[in-house]
Amino acid sequence: MKKVFALFLCLVMVLSLAACGTKAPAATDPKSPVKDNSAGTEGSSSEQPNVPALKGPGNVTLKRLGYNVAFDPNTDINAQVLEESTGYHAEYYMLPAENADEKLLMDISGGADYDVVSASVNQWRTLVAQGALQPLDDLLEVYGQDILAGNSETVWNAVRGDDGHIYGVPYMYPHSKEIAMFMIARMDLLKAAGITEVPTTIDEFYDCLVTLKQYYGDEYIILAGPFRPASEGNENWVIPKTLACAFGIYNDWMVDENGKVYYMTEAEGFPDMIAFLQKLYNEGLIDPDWAINTDSTLKEKFTSGKAIITCGNRALSDFCSAALIENLGLDWDDLGYISALKGSDGTCTYQSTEAFNMVACIPKSSQNAADVVNWWNLRIKDQLYIMIGEEGVHFNYDENHQIAPINPIFAQERGNSYWYVDVTNQKEFEYEWPARVRKSEGQWHAFSAVTMNADQSIFVPNTFAFMPAKENYTTYNTTLFNSLQDYILQVMSGTRTIDDLDTFMADWKNAGGEDVRNDLQTWYDEFYG
Amino acid sequence: MTTPPQNALTSKAAPTTGSLLAQKMRSLGYYLRQHWVLYVMLIPGLFFLFIYKLLPLWGLQIAFKDYKIFAASDPWSAIAASKWVGLKHFKRLFGSSQFIKVLLNTLEINFLKILWLFPIPILCAILLNEIRNKLYQKLCQTLIYVPYFFSWVLIFGIFYSLLGSYGIINTVITALGGSRINFFGDQSVFRSVLVFTEGWKEVGYNTVIYLAAITGIDVTLYEAARVDGANKFQQIWSITLPGLLPTIILMLIMKVGYILTTGFEQVLVFYSPAVYDVADIIETYVYRIGMGQADFSLATALGLFNAVIAFILIVGANTVSKKTLGRSIW
Amino acid sequence: MKKKHIGHGIAMDASEKFVTIFAYILMTVFALVAILPCLHVVSKAFSKGTYVTAGLVNFWPKGFQLETIKYILFQTDFFNALKNTLIVTIVGTAVSVIASVTTAYPLSKPQFKGRKVITLLYVFSMVFFGGMIPAYMVIQMLGIKDTYAAMILPFAIVQFNMFIVKNYFEGLPETIEESARIDGAGDLRILVSIVCPMSTPVIATVALLYAINYWNNYFHAMMYTQSPSMQTLQVYLYNLIQSGSGYLENMAGGTLTSNITPEGLTAAAVTLSIIPIILLYPFVQRFLIKGITIGSVKG
Repeated sequence: MKKVFALFLCLVMVLSLAACGTKAPAATDPKSPVKDNSAGTEGSSSEQPNVPALKGPGNVTLKRLGYNVAFDPNTDINAQVLEESTGYHAEYYMLPAENADEKLLMDISGGADYDVVSASVNQWRTLVAQGALQPLDDLLEVYGQDILAGNSETVWNAVRGDDGHIYGVPYMYPHSKEIAMFMIARMDLLKAAGITEVPTTIDEFYDCLVTLKQYYGDEYIILAGPFRPASEGNENWVIPKTLACAFGIYNDWMVDENGKVYYMTEAEGFPDMIAFLQKLYNEGLIDPDWAINTDSTLKEKFTSGKAIITCGNRALSDFCSAALIENLGLDWDDLGYISALKGSDGTCTYQSTEAFNMVACIPKSSQNAADVVNWWNLRIKDQLYIMIGEEGVHFNYDENHQIAPINPIFAQERGNSYWYVDVTNQKEFEYEWPARVRKSEGQWHAFSAVTMNADQSIFVPNTFAFMPAKENYTTYNTTLFNSLQDYILQVMSGTRTIDDLDTFMADWKNAGGEDVRNDLQTWYDEFYG
Repeated sequence: MTTPPQNALTSKAAPTTGSLLAQKMRSLGYYLRQHWVLYVMLIPGLFFLFIYKLLPLWGLQIAFKDYKIFAASDPWSAIAASKWVGLKHFKRLFGSSQFIKVLLNTLEINFLKILWLFPIPILCAILLNEIRNKLYQKLCQTLIYVPYFFSWVLIFGIFYSLLGSYGIINTVITALGGSRINFFGDQSVFRSVLVFTEGWKEVGYNTVIYLAAITGIDVTLYEAARVDGANKFQQIWSITLPGLLPTIILMLIMKVGYILTTGFEQVLVFYSPAVYDVADIIETYVYRIGMGQADFSLATALGLFNAVIAFILIVGANTVSKKTLGRSIW
Repeated sequence: MKKKHIGHGIAMDASEKFVTIFAYILMTVFALVAILPCLHVVSKAFSKGTYVTAGLVNFWPKGFQLETIKYILFQTDFFNALKNTLIVTIVGTAVSVIASVTTAYPLSKPQFKGRKVITLLYVFSMVFFGGMIPAYMVIQMLGIKDTYAAMILPFAIVQFNMFIVKNYFEGLPETIEESARIDGAGDLRILVSIVCPMSTPVIATVALLYAINYWNNYFHAMMYTQSPSMQTLQVYLYNLIQSGSGYLENMAGGTLTSNITPEGLTAAAVTLSIIPIILLYPFVQRFLIKGITIGSVKG
């Protein structure tokens, strides 16, 4: 009996020790080459032409880490497309959907051997600030001429660290003047209440809501929202941007005509905007669940026919129109789109979408930096095939020489190609990209109604889009913006008032508001002044 | 903290000097020879304890440092390489005007949860035991345990479609002529939503633990009681409950000990700025101030604070239980 | 059906009848409250996508379809994730139960030297946690990152579960052990052939608690693995729930049909993933009943 027991114990011990023992050398292994390598790249940056040689396609497997998606990027057809086109074999990894930032930092600092990291701008800024990345200037010079040619000097300046080196390659937002956030309205219900045209000014908008409320009473949610497709940054607004633009508000940080940087709360129109939202809330014109709506509750309310107007973007529009047409028997004419609204004085300011989508970078621990840059360069040369496909198979040119996708093969074989993008030739991509919107009728319908017909004079430049990593900004800005949003929601629901603005601003200063402002002002003065 | 054997050793060794000590040592040696197997048995457990629980405690020092994960060649060496900053992170935690409020919220919400939800699994276990149809008994047990496997994100989705402003319940209320209740946005009902959904998820799981304890109670005791003419209530009161007492105490001590840390995920998913005043707890608050920063030092400082409180509460509750009921978990 | 079963044994008095009826009513209510919202999720898994998004599905499938379930089973990594979770749960539970019993037994002996110190260490480690980074680095230094061992060994002993076992052992009558000792049995023999059989209910329960723990472990499974092939069910589920709608913003994939929606997918994946662990419970219940008979013998 003792033997049996001893065996059991041994089993448990051996199990744990074996696991430790077998892999232990492997864990320490990556560290020593890491140092050699970083020394190597440092050396290369001082002696101009001395960059690592290419190992070449077929001789190396590149490991790329990207954000989380619902499909397996290793088995998706686009992985094959890339390999066929470039000859390089790549393995794809994903960050988790939650705690992505922490996981990224621990993996990279722990020496995980990724060759490419496709990072959000914030993640990239943190990695640069922590010194975790390889400088790319020389490599790009030698292996990446097509990459360098693909984006403007301004963009390249924005991916430099404090030491002036390039630490990432930009993947720009593919359309520089899109009204990405708008509202979708049920025209059948609007017409029944006597409204035939979508509102274009803030006053028309208010009247429209009031008319609907009078006509339908409590039967429908008049305006559902907000739509917050991301947990942070510019896509996480609790105020519909289509409304904010009527009050002169288009970003959390803005710049006045004298070049002075100011925060949203300091804008002239801010109190009016808050008062307006509060009025909508108190008069029951917007969803009482405004503070807790999520992506899916919003979709549910609109597609079930409980809401008349909803905040949304292209993707939501795509999703909802399909469901509405099927569930409620609507057709395309029953869907209207409310674009950026003009203020009472006729002005409107909407921030252009010229900004980074993602930034791809190479961690210090990577041994294959030269091949990565070469891989990128090969992909840029073949961008049309990789992103859109082959003429006659995946797309045709229409009469205006625009790309018209052929469905369903386009969606099947290029639908997920967006996940693999590291860097683009921006000019060509701006031309190619609308095809990707066009593949879906729901997106295209909204996109053509809102963006293609937009008054170009409403767009203001995205002033801070190309600001490189700044410590205070990276550290505090997300928290500041989130507490501002919380404050707005609290005012709307009546737990705080606009008179609290002074208290809020005091807290804001304590939480680093002025430090961020200094960062922005300094950079602005240097860059534009 | 000194241990009793040492206490006995030092206090008794004084008057009679060496001989008693020698005797003690001999008896210890005898005990070890007799029961060495017991010590061998402990090895795997101690191995796990030291490697996975105690070794990482080295990292607690980053609560007092500005931890820079890239400060050295790997995150572990970076712990030592980071700069000491004293109580900076604790000041960030406690210094805020919000801290007292969120601390009180944490205590109030979790106290409400213990008050309402702690007795229910005990009741369930006792009642399930009274269901004579074994198949039905098993069915009920299994059904109430199912919700435990839903994540909070999903539970929010389920309850939103029930309790949302235009959800099923509110549709019924308005159909009956009442006015809508904003379950998620009204400060006066929000805590009830938290308590109810917590109960919905956890009751079945906790019942499992009590059921095991009930099966450990000697069946002959009930027969003897019945012969003595005790009715069902008396049997439950004087046999079942005392039989469950050690488990009840263990569970209660744990619940009290973790009063500062439970409920984070739930609140994070359910709350909104409209109910911050009644729903914001320490962990959600710290989550927000550390958002987007991967601030490991702040998180560690919070963890350390919570652990110290939990340790004091658990040791305290255990001592009280030992003194008053003669029961303790160690 | 009710009457047939309550008949045997001594005749019921009024209090017993009351308790029995009360038990039936209350537990039925509880069971319904617990299961109805779950039915809501299950129904979504089998309903037409557009009805799901519109919130038209209540407690029964509407527009019945199996496409979503098929999609989960055959187009995603579900089976691989299930395999990983099963391995971790089965091996992990075995390791944990053995380690907990062998730790709890010595610590349950009042005369065991060093008991207090070791017990206190366990209590201490129950509340003090070094934080994410050191835990991650221990895994990295042991070289078990991205292996099953990383998802098992750190949780091999959950102190709370170990205390439940210890509590139970302490409640066992000394007399049987004493007489076995007089017969010449050693500690190990007593544990294996006397204490363990008397403790089946608690061992089964703790095994269940461990199994649930391994099954539900999301955070560490996510932190300690990196290959997509190592992802467990929970990691798979979280990713599915989170990325179901979030990332398709710039260039929506557009491959979902009107039957399959992110919400329907989530519901289907959740339904499929909780079935195995729920089936475990009736299995454990068998041991709880076994425990009663042994328990009554021992008295």
